[in-house]
Amino acid sequence: MAITNLNEFLTDYFTAKDCEIISNHDGVIQIQLNEQMDRELMNRPFYWHYIKKIGRTGDPMQLTLITNPKQRDAKGDWIHFGSPRLQQIMNHLKEKEKFTKLFQLIHATEKTPLHPWLVVNFKISYQGQHKKDEIISIGLHLVNGMMKLDMMNLLRKFSLQTTISDYCFTLSPMIKIKSGYIRMETVLSNYIEEQEHTWAKKSLELLQEEIQTLQHFYQDDLESEQMKKEQDELTKRYHPKVTLDVINGGIVYLEQHAL
Amino acid sequence: MDSIELQKDSAFINALETAISKEGPFSNWELFSMAFQAELTTSSPSFNGLRALEYLPHVNFLDHQTDVAEQAIEKMNGRAILADEVGLGKTIEAGLILKEYMIRGLVKNALILVPASLVNQWVKELNEKFYIPAVAHRKNYSWKENPIIISSLDTAKRSPNREEIIDTEYDFILIDEAHKLKNHKTKNYQFVRAIKKKYCLLLTATPVQNRLIEIFNLITILRPGHLGNYDSFIEKYGKDRSKLEQDPYLKQLIQKVMIRNTRKATKLTESKRMIETLWIDFPDKAREVYDDLVNTTIAFSTFSKITYLREICSSREACYMSLSKISEHENNAAVLKPLLSKIEELPHHIKAEKAVELIKSIGDEKVIIFTEYRATQYFLQWYLQQHGISSVPFRGGFKRGKKDWMKQLFKDHAQVLIATEAGGEGINLQFCSHLINYDLPWNPMRLEQRIGRIHRFGQEKDVHIYNLVIRNTIEEHILTLLYEKINLFEKVIGNLDDILAELNISSIESEMESIYNESTSAGEVRIKLNNLSSIIQGAKNDSTAETEERLYGNY
Repeated sequence: MAITNLNEFLTDYFTAKDCEIISNHDGVIQIQLNEQMDRELMNRPFYWHYIKKIGRTGDPMQLTLITNPKQRDAKGDWIHFGSPRLQQIMNHLKEKEKFTKLFQLIHATEKTPLHPWLVVNFKISYQGQHKKDEIISIGLHLVNGMMKLDMMNLLRKFSLQTTISDYCFTLSPMIKIKSGYIRMETVLSNYIEEQEHTWAKKSLELLQEEIQTLQHFYQDDLESEQMKKEQDELTKRYHPKVTLDVINGGIVYLEQHAL
Repeated sequence: MDSIELQKDSAFINALETAISKEGPFSNWELFSMAFQAELTTSSPSFNGLRALEYLPHVNFLDHQTDVAEQAIEKMNGRAILADEVGLGKTIEAGLILKEYMIRGLVKNALILVPASLVNQWVKELNEKFYIPAVAHRKNYSWKENPIIISSLDTAKRSPNREEIIDTEYDFILIDEAHKLKNHKTKNYQFVRAIKKKYCLLLTATPVQNRLIEIFNLITILRPGHLGNYDSFIEKYGKDRSKLEQDPYLKQLIQKVMIRNTRKATKLTESKRMIETLWIDFPDKAREVYDDLVNTTIAFSTFSKITYLREICSSREACYMSLSKISEHENNAAVLKPLLSKIEELPHHIKAEKAVELIKSIGDEKVIIFTEYRATQYFLQWYLQQHGISSVPFRGGFKRGKKDWMKQLFKDHAQVLIATEAGGEGINLQFCSHLINYDLPWNPMRLEQRIGRIHRFGQEKDVHIYNLVIRNTIEEHILTLLYEKINLFEKVIGNLDDILAELNISSIESEMESIYNESTSAGEVRIKLNNLSSIIQGAKNDSTAETEERLYGNY
């Protein structure tokens, strides 16, 4: 599900943000920003402050984004995975799109119950001598306790919207959201514990070796401040740790046997 | 495994509950799943490999540069001496390493200490090439204001900066020109050792200049104890550097923290130097002045006489200025007056004419002219303008901003840059491949610096160097005796410094000055210069790049 088509990703993004796509030819997208997006992306707070002060509406800027490397000499921002503009947009997404509450779109003619799922996307980072990340998406049925992995992928087959469809009603959760979340955490903790942590063992060995080298260097002065500082730095650099971060999450209501 | 610490996210679930109780705000499916995609895209699923390469498709990294970055991160765990030869792109390697750490979220704040004259260049390079939002430190701003700060070591070590820096825990420290830290008794050294840091890169092209203890000191910044402690090291290896050659174990240890590529080893298909000397004859009138100067009875020292001779070979103006100065306060007026008026009457300098011819024959391409004299620089600027050639001046004394501005003007508008000083100023002009030595400096290092401005990493064309030399003058002396003998023009920037250090010659300039001062005849000067160049040549053959490689190369 990682981004593969930048052009599509960007047009989707600006469409979702209610900005007009003026044109999109041969990897050059022209976008008319609205005020909110101009404020978020264009970094000109003084302009907006001034405009509001004199009581005008202001002119949001247009943005030209180039996703086709062959067009990179055209006027506009050349967008690739490392480009500052894409990074900015991705950071905005990560920061702002944290929570959701969604309902499956259903064309029902009679009363239909929708079942609550807690959906949480986790990022596990394993950090010792080196670092890597693993991303896990989990869904938990808040009535019967069923748990699904790869939840984001499973959800792609439904139409999900922010309002509930006609004739539909939601079931109340039997499992509290917080307890549901703790179940997920427990599952992940077990998953992490059961892994073969050669990386961590190696990091610890390395840390021990480095500390021994250090002690040899400071053999006459093992209590010195400098020695403590260096040992501290080593620990920070090598001591293995795993962090569990939530990317985003929320409640999704689905038909009874949807999954 | 018990000893792994697991850090959980305690904030999220409470925030979600709050959002639910307040009925939002909630993201729609598109944006919610895009945020997930963004995270999938930016996360690093593997311990190894350089993710940064995907982020920097506009930079053409050379193989040895990505190798260095990978090695520094994966084998040396982020503490390394990058010791590539000059011109192989240490800055690029360092930028790539920093970028990788930032992408992986391992570096959030960094302190980059470089020579004052290079601060702007580093800022520019990191921002434009690597999209790393580095800023130069400004007076009266806190060191914590920006996460990535570039400053000079001299500024950083002064109070109150020093205290603020020592107080901060840095994820990443970089020190350019790190050979300045070779002495453990200096303030610089103690300051750097006191900084709290996780990762640390030391950049230097000359990790060992004189004594082995220098490399010991550098390595101690990165990994204290890696080479044992101070006393045991001194005892075992003494103070000279030849031990490095004899001790493969020591070499191996050093290679665990230091990476050095040489031009030869990288097989960099580098641009060639095409050297062409244009021999010029003085027209009769000018010849007369030159001979008058040679034969003048005024008792100025031999050395200053040599200076005037060199000046007249460069421009009427340069010589006139110097001579008129001494005619004011010495009793030389009577002798100098006729000489000065003769100079006044000279037509345009023959070299200027040749230079214009040359520039026109080069066509539209950019040209740098180097001269030793300010007066020549002024004159040339005017003279070129008369011939419809646009030029900008460049001097070592310009402020940093003005230098950048002149460089930009040269790049975008003017055809010619007329410079008096190449200096170690770090101005890089790879976009230009023609250089005219309007006159030759006596110090070969300065000549090398001149050429180094254009013949460096990033130069895609062959570099053309033109020497304008007037026959049967002091210029011919310098060229044939000094430069051609030691093949300086063909040699690539490198170990001349080491050679001079080895020979205990601190400065070629003063060496030559004393030769001229202590000699009584032109013949004696010739013989002594000849000796000097043979000595240099001999030393060069002994201690060439191969020795360097044997000493601490990787291949």
